Amino acid sequence: MLRHLLRTVNLFDTATSALFLCFLAACHARSGGGNELRGLVYYESNDPRSLDPALSTDVPTGEMVSLLFDGLTQFDPDGKLLPGLSDRWTADKRAQRYVFHVRSGVTFHDGHPFVAADVKRSFLRVLNPATHGGRVWPLLPIAGAQDYADGRALGVRGIELLGDSAVVFTLTQPLAVFPKFLAMPVAAIVPSSLAPDFGQRPIGTGPWRFVAWEHDDYLRFARNPSYWGGAPRAESLTVRIVPEPLTRAAEFLAGRLSVAEIPFGETMKWEHEHADWLHRKAALRVVYVALNNRRGPLRDPNVRRAINHAVNIPQILSTVWNSRGIAAAGSIPPALGGSDPTRRPYAYDTTEARRLLRAAGYPDGFAVQLWRSGTNVELGRVAQALQAQLSAVGIRVEIVSRDASSMREAARKGETDIALLDWWADYPDADNFLYPLFHSTSFGPGGNVSFYSDPVTDSLILTARRTVDQQAREALYRRIETRVFRAAPWIYLWFPIDLWAAQPSLDGWDVPVIFNGQRWIKAHPK
Amino acid sequence: MIRLVVGRLLAIVPTLFGVLVVAFLLLNVIPGDPVAEMVGERADSATIVRLRAELHLDEPVPVQFGHYLWGVVRGDLGRSYITQRPVLGDLAERFPKTLQLAGAAMLLAATCGIALGVLAAIRPGGAVDRFSMFIAYVGVSFPVYWVGLLLILLFAVALQWLPPSGYGGIAFLVLPALTLGTRSIAFLARMTRGAMLDVLPADFVRTARAKGLPERRVIGRHAFRNALLPIITVLGLDVGNYLTGSILTETIFSWPGVGRYVLLAIQKRDLPAIQGSILFLSVIFVLVNLLTDVLYAKADPRVAYD
Repeated sequence: MLRHLLRTVNLFDTATSALFLCFLAACHARSGGGNELRGLVYYESNDPRSLDPALSTDVPTGEMVSLLFDGLTQFDPDGKLLPGLSDRWTADKRAQRYVFHVRSGVTFHDGHPFVAADVKRSFLRVLNPATHGGRVWPLLPIAGAQDYADGRALGVRGIELLGDSAVVFTLTQPLAVFPKFLAMPVAAIVPSSLAPDFGQRPIGTGPWRFVAWEHDDYLRFARNPSYWGGAPRAESLTVRIVPEPLTRAAEFLAGRLSVAEIPFGETMKWEHEHADWLHRKAALRVVYVALNNRRGPLRDPNVRRAINHAVNIPQILSTVWNSRGIAAAGSIPPALGGSDPTRRPYAYDTTEARRLLRAAGYPDGFAVQLWRSGTNVELGRVAQALQAQLSAVGIRVEIVSRDASSMREAARKGETDIALLDWWADYPDADNFLYPLFHSTSFGPGGNVSFYSDPVTDSLILTARRTVDQQAREALYRRIETRVFRAAPWIYLWFPIDLWAAQPSLDGWDVPVIFNGQRWIKAHPK
Repeated sequence: MIRLVVGRLLAIVPTLFGVLVVAFLLLNVIPGDPVAEMVGERADSATIVRLRAELHLDEPVPVQFGHYLWGVVRGDLGRSYITQRPVLGDLAERFPKTLQLAGAAMLLAATCGIALGVLAAIRPGGAVDRFSMFIAYVGVSFPVYWVGLLLILLFAVALQWLPPSGYGGIAFLVLPALTLGTRSIAFLARMTRGAMLDVLPADFVRTARAKGLPERRVIGRHAFRNALLPIITVLGLDVGNYLTGSILTETIFSWPGVGRYVLLAIQKRDLPAIQGSILFLSVIFVLVNLLTDVLYAKADPRVAYD
């Protein structure tokens, strides 16, 4: 019977009917089961590691954690430090002992009340080696934290509870920026009893409750109606995982994303066609070239200054980077206290560059390798522009393109002459651009991959960390940066300006300067 | 036939062992550090050293391999360093989605590609032939990436008929399947045309015509069946490739399949996830090859006796 049937089914008929089926499928558009999009729709470029705050070592994880959880403090979209689960805090005169009063009447999404003991338990959990989280440095300033993280102590003596109403932190050294550390996702507060799949079905106190997570596809959140800071205006928030920037732009145009970052190649087009949808903000981020201060000719500050004079940054910025940035005369973004608006960038002056090279004993230039991450196309173009301009003063640049992981490893080990990089703020403070990037204890994995080392800078940075008075601290930052800038451990490129499009129907949303500054509470699709 | 299948199934074990060894060695040779990817952009050295020890990354390579092999034998592919989830579960979650996309692409490729090829072969040099060979030429030459973006621009942004990307009902499947299938359509069309042109002048085709069979039957049954072998080869290779994930198509269309999982695992140097994926995908590949061989034997019984 089957054989007979098969014999009579003609090849051509099969083909025609299959084509017809395809056609039917095409007509059956907009019936997606897993992708019903209502309310706010945001995106990430890849799946978060987990929704467990202790694992938030990358941007997607950190952003999702900041929707579901609260820290003792938090940032607003402009990077201002606001109270979180702690409604007020006090520090002693030296900024070494902090008392954080916890907010009363806050409950977790499952109805359990939040108490001060949850803070201690959450922090111990992050520091506990068995958690394998990977990011403990924001909590290491607490006295005894390092011992606990290394398994040498059973508790952290620097964390004490004052009944149910406050937590006291005693630090190993004075640290004025400590309250900002506590706004980072890794310091978010989790409930006391955690299910084994907590990272998949999290329970927090944050503005959004967890609803669903389809890996590599989307995450769905619902408004927490009893949020202590006022419930979000929108009912739901979907976060889709959309890896390709051009696809994101198409998704936005099709109305299936509430906001989208404009792909670099499309800047002009969008500025021309959709100017009224665009939002711009200077990000707390710096794009720079680390000149390895311990390798070859780059050891000489005159050589490094010559390199800075030899590149025409404004030109590269306007051509390759579509003017989406502000030329940098330092490493501290202009929006942060401690940046110095009066400092001028190194002038483009090839004569001066050649003079400096001659003085350093390299009249004919030299050869170096410039490393860049192959995954970042825009930075690749910047690398080519730098190569061309440096060749004009006799510096022969060979571009080494590696995937991000290999490049990071080489840069951290100090195996790169020149590395093209960017640095994103973890917390909005000049300290986050000086301590990791220029202090000698931050060599390698800590962030200092130019291996700039100067005892005076080191001690000034530590003094600034201890300085409670904001103005005095900012004055110190300006002084430090002037000193570092003169030594030219980098080619100072620019501070990027983020360019986003938001649907005209979206209200109450703004580009955040820092990744966890936008919690989608005020956003609302009209 | 049964001997063929059993023999092939037995050969899987040494094949997979070889795959495991090569993958393990390669992953130990390539630069990049899994712990660095876990801890993110800024980390303290003490944490890095501790994590390295906890993950046994500081042990000699043969010992590490022993650990891993013992896990595999017990059916445990380990947990991802990055997400801390079991690798096997992650793969099981994504594979059906890859299967769906691969199935749709193959269905499209097989029907359109073979039909175009057969039609082209009926009148070589005719209008249909020139048209289908043009399609084949274009399909082979255009990069997948570009085709995908063009399709999105046309059908999702300009016409708004279909969603640009994502996973969901049939509407979400059309564009990625078309993108993935384009190359196969083109390749199959050329292959089918060539094979048909070889067969059509044969004596048995003339006999079929001489005994008065309608042309449809001559082409569809007598000639086409004899042209099947090279077509099965191409189909088998493509199915193997599609099932092991199509990184570009899945990325462009935000399709939550195996390809993207592997890509992210490689970018993050997530060793258990990479090794687990390689092993899993090797099994799939071997099985598809086996299936192709069985189909060979079905299409041409002489193959089974070799």
